[in-house]
Amino acid sequence: MSRFAQLWRTSTVRLTATFILIFSLFAILLLAFITWQSSVQIQQQQAKDIDREIAALQRLDATGGIRALAFALERISRAPGPGVYYLGDMTGQYLLGNVTDIPANVILEPGIYAFDYERANPLTDPPPSAGADKTGFAVVRSVVLNNGMRLVVGRDVVERRGFSAIIVQSFLLGVIGIILFSLIAGGITARRVLKRIDTIRDTSTKIMSGNLSERVPVTRRNDEFDGLATNLNAMLDRIEQLLQGLKQVTDNVAHDLKTPLTRLRNQAEAALRHGADDETRQQALETTIRESDRLIQTFNALLMIARAEAGAPSGTLTDIDVSAVVADVAELYGPVAEDEGILIQTSITEGVHLRANRELIGQAMVNLLENAVKYAKPQGDGEGRVTVGLRRHADRVLIEVADNGPGIPEEDRKRVLERFVRLEKSRSEPGSGLGLSLVDAVTRLMGGQFRIEDNAPGVRAVIDLPAL
Amino acid sequence: MKILLIEDDREAAAYLIQALDEAGHVTHHAADGETGYAMASGMDYDVLIVDRMLPRRDGLSIVESLRAEGDKTPVLILSALGEVDDRVTGLRAGGDDYLTKPYAFTELLARVEVLARRSSPSEAATSYEVGGLSLDRLSRKVERDGEPILLQPREFRLLEYLMKNAGKVVTRTMLLENVWDYHFDPQTNVIDVHMSRLRSKIDKGYATPLLHTVRGAGYMIRD
Repeated sequence: MSRFAQLWRTSTVRLTATFILIFSLFAILLLAFITWQSSVQIQQQQAKDIDREIAALQRLDATGGIRALAFALERISRAPGPGVYYLGDMTGQYLLGNVTDIPANVILEPGIYAFDYERANPLTDPPPSAGADKTGFAVVRSVVLNNGMRLVVGRDVVERRGFSAIIVQSFLLGVIGIILFSLIAGGITARRVLKRIDTIRDTSTKIMSGNLSERVPVTRRNDEFDGLATNLNAMLDRIEQLLQGLKQVTDNVAHDLKTPLTRLRNQAEAALRHGADDETRQQALETTIRESDRLIQTFNALLMIARAEAGAPSGTLTDIDVSAVVADVAELYGPVAEDEGILIQTSITEGVHLRANRELIGQAMVNLLENAVKYAKPQGDGEGRVTVGLRRHADRVLIEVADNGPGIPEEDRKRVLERFVRLEKSRSEPGSGLGLSLVDAVTRLMGGQFRIEDNAPGVRAVIDLPAL
Repeated sequence: MKILLIEDDREAAAYLIQALDEAGHVTHHAADGETGYAMASGMDYDVLIVDRMLPRRDGLSIVESLRAEGDKTPVLILSALGEVDDRVTGLRAGGDDYLTKPYAFTELLARVEVLARRSSPSEAATSYEVGGLSLDRLSRKVERDGEPILLQPREFRLLEYLMKNAGKVVTRTMLLENVWDYHFDPQTNVIDVHMSRLRSKIDKGYATPLLHTVRGAGYMIRD
């Protein structure tokens, strides 16, 4: 691979080259157009001048006769400049003018011609010599005057050629200037653009090498790159958050599953111990089954949370009557609560439909009611009370489960949504610390928010879902 | 009862065959999908227990093929996949019931016995009768020895399900699935409390109890 090819591969060079190409093409086109336009203009102007001069001379001939014409011609022929004049008799023979060797056909046939000639100016030019290089080039118009005399008026265009040369020269200069300019401008622009891309690449390299806390710098310009950087950063935040969650879960799983596994093992050992009687063995085995069932439940809950957090597989969210689900679960828990001396009151708006998963909403409601019934136990001489509500509020559907138990301190309300987090007070109660995490995951899966509010006293758990 | 078990895990299969044998059922075993399909279509079984992930042929495709051939043998699908959508695909393929691994044997046995009953005509019965307790599905009336018993709608459905499967054990999960139509594990004793209320309505004051608690398994109604 040659160095040039390598260089060509870099976006900077390619971008710059493209810039230059486009710039130059455009500039060349523009200059060519200007050059062409101005030469056309000059030609037209000259043709007009010639016509006007002929008209003036013809008028002179008509009013003042041949004398006035000759006099005027004699005068303008001598004036320095590009003018070409020739007056011939009826046969075209030279009478006066500043050119003598005009081709015969030009003089005899009226019309417009262009030809090489030798300038004959008695004052400034040497007399024409046959075979000498002809230095002039003229564009002329030839007419026949009223009296049959031949008049040829024209312009020397060697000067015009000189003018064209100047135009071409400045044109070339312009093109070179433009190429230089676009090289510089293209280089600067490309480098500025690519520098920012490089920044993003550098950041991602750092992240790939393990530093997840790196972020792409965002400038105050608020342009597309900043938009990209903001999005990338948001994505990184999310990834970091997920990874932290994963790490925390792994730690917790290790801790929270080891404990029951140890108990399980202890029970099995107890059953095998020498001298254990049948009853001890029976008990140990029953405990073993109970413990393993709890482990399975914990696993199921973990899997359900993981599934819900991974997003909904298509087709699992359908249009369901969420009022019915909430009422079902409230009814399911009614008798249990009653046995605990707790009254479940419901205020459920009927017939509210949602795009949701019936099983998951049901499970979430079960978890909330389990908690509510567990913690709404009468304190002192008070009465345990749980309220289950569902209502539409603007474009939201709010499902609330509230109790009048001890409540959750404000600083812990976010924390209890994390997996395996159990508050000190509830450590003595049975539970896995996954209930609220599941509710939270399910709610988010359905595009809603799960909040824990103060019921003063007690907990009010609110599932806030977007209405259909 | 004649059962075909299609399960590739030899250890699990051996345990199941022995336990089903102790429960009085004859169990044939196939260790892969192709053999299982051949046995299922070649012989007459009361219930098929089909693992979902099998070598050589997928469990669901066996069930689909059997159903396509018009074989209506009840099928219990066993699977380690327990999510809602997995269950739905399992049942859509033609399975009659779906059980997630790991499961308690009592749960499996109860489901197998209830499934086998499905092929009998009592499915369409409009009324049930167990030892003086009668339930009319059309008029929604329940009586015991001629005395009317007033039940809540949910209690009626509980009793209806129990009586439809009279003499068979029904587990708590089965009750939650069939009466409430939810498939999660009831964590506390929610079902038990409902059952004790039902029991107090149908058994209280009568000499012979009809609703029995089967320890470690579930409930059964019988005379």
